Amino acid sequence: MLISQDKINEAVATIVGYGGHGILNCVQCGACSAICPGVRAGFPLLCRNLIRHLLNGELEEIIEDSSSWGCQACCRCTEVCPRGVGPQEIVFAFRRYQANQLAFSTSSVTSQMNLYETGHAVYVNPTEARKKVGLPEQTPTSAFNDRAKEEIQTLINNSPMGELGLF
Amino acid sequence: MEKIGLYLGCNIPLKAPDIEQSFRKVFPALGIEPVDLEGASCCPAWGTAPSFDLNTWCAISCRNITIAEAQGVDIMTGCNSCFGLLSEAKHYMEEPERRKTVNGLLKAIDREFKGASDIYHVAHVLHRKVGVQKIREKLKYSLDGLKIAYQTGCHALWPTKVYKVTEDNPYQPTILRELCEATGATVPHYSRLEGCCGMGGMRSTDAEKSLKLFREKLVSIKEETDADIIVTTCSSCFLQFDMSQPILKERGLIDFEPIPTFYYTQLLALAMGFDPGQVAAISQIDRGPIIGEIQSEKRLIKEVA
Repeated sequence: MLISQDKINEAVATIVGYGGHGILNCVQCGACSAICPGVRAGFPLLCRNLIRHLLNGELEEIIEDSSSWGCQACCRCTEVCPRGVGPQEIVFAFRRYQANQLAFSTSSVTSQMNLYETGHAVYVNPTEARKKVGLPEQTPTSAFNDRAKEEIQTLINNSPMGELGLF
Repeated sequence: MEKIGLYLGCNIPLKAPDIEQSFRKVFPALGIEPVDLEGASCCPAWGTAPSFDLNTWCAISCRNITIAEAQGVDIMTGCNSCFGLLSEAKHYMEEPERRKTVNGLLKAIDREFKGASDIYHVAHVLHRKVGVQKIREKLKYSLDGLKIAYQTGCHALWPTKVYKVTEDNPYQPTILRELCEATGATVPHYSRLEGCCGMGGMRSTDAEKSLKLFREKLVSIKEETDADIIVTTCSSCFLQFDMSQPILKERGLIDFEPIPTFYYTQLLALAMGFDPGQVAAISQIDRGPIIGEIQSEKRLIKEVA
């Protein structure tokens, strides 16, 4: 492949802009990938390999790859990295780049809608289950609190998430 | 009685309220009063705001933290993801620029993050504030002779720089082991102890990869410990162990019966004599026989007043 400095600069600036500040510290030692459960499970573009692609200037070329969404954010990588790269922060910066280009699975839209409407990313009507175990049917959380829901919606509406046309 | 803000998250109050009930039963009996954080929301989960925008993540997390600050309490969470997310957001807020920006966002809802409340995990409160000795004193039934495989889960362990309480060695966690041993049970080591269960983003992105990773861990538990019970302090790990063992069994990918799985405070509540219909009532795997065994007369230590 042809490597272009402009593309490298663009990829690095994008990742840094989305929170992956340590990307240029990476020396491709692979400690992160050695300990990553996502790599172990078979996701191709996480940790060292994702960083390699980014440092080669690839962004749009890999935008459709779903590996970053398989990241558990467990931060084993960030813990072991001897260079302060913060590989998890880079995986998430790449994920933010994807998300802001709407390159994510439709199943993920449900959690965004749930968060917006109830304040809970995972929402199921809890009343029966709660009654069964002797708890009040309503949770003391945002799900049953109008003011709380309004606050969450305000924070989301005022954020870049509000501009994606999801809500 | 020491008060602590009970941060519920999503899965526990909505899908597994018996875990919530177990908190509400065991903590007061152990001298800790959980207080509700009215209007608290999702932490927010990794797949939501943290996947779109760092400042929005921090704003939603910090909104939750301000609810505790207003009541002058620290936060205790039973979900590892919540523990990780809230702790990381709080850590990000140590950057002066970040704090300024995020507090700017919070101003729109008349809130300000001050950083006054610390974030603890349920396991930390039990281990550091209550202590294993007090747990031992409150038992009604002894779990002597039962074998527990424990699962701490990722987000209580890494990255250590953001957490208020950390393990001496996060790759060999011991907090939950000591809590389990306090019940009288035997808690053997297994080689995949620190391994990820495969729940979370991995499961929603690629269920097959998640199951493969989960199976590796489960087989290690079965072959190396032959545990009677699996115990975790992560609600996501709980859901994975409870939901995915029957799937592996049905597909013929394991040749043993699913191992009953409990959140730690459920097991503790049972050992303290609380009603299983309230504290351990919701699971895919049939836990009836092992609950009967735990609360059997031969295991009675004493009547707790």
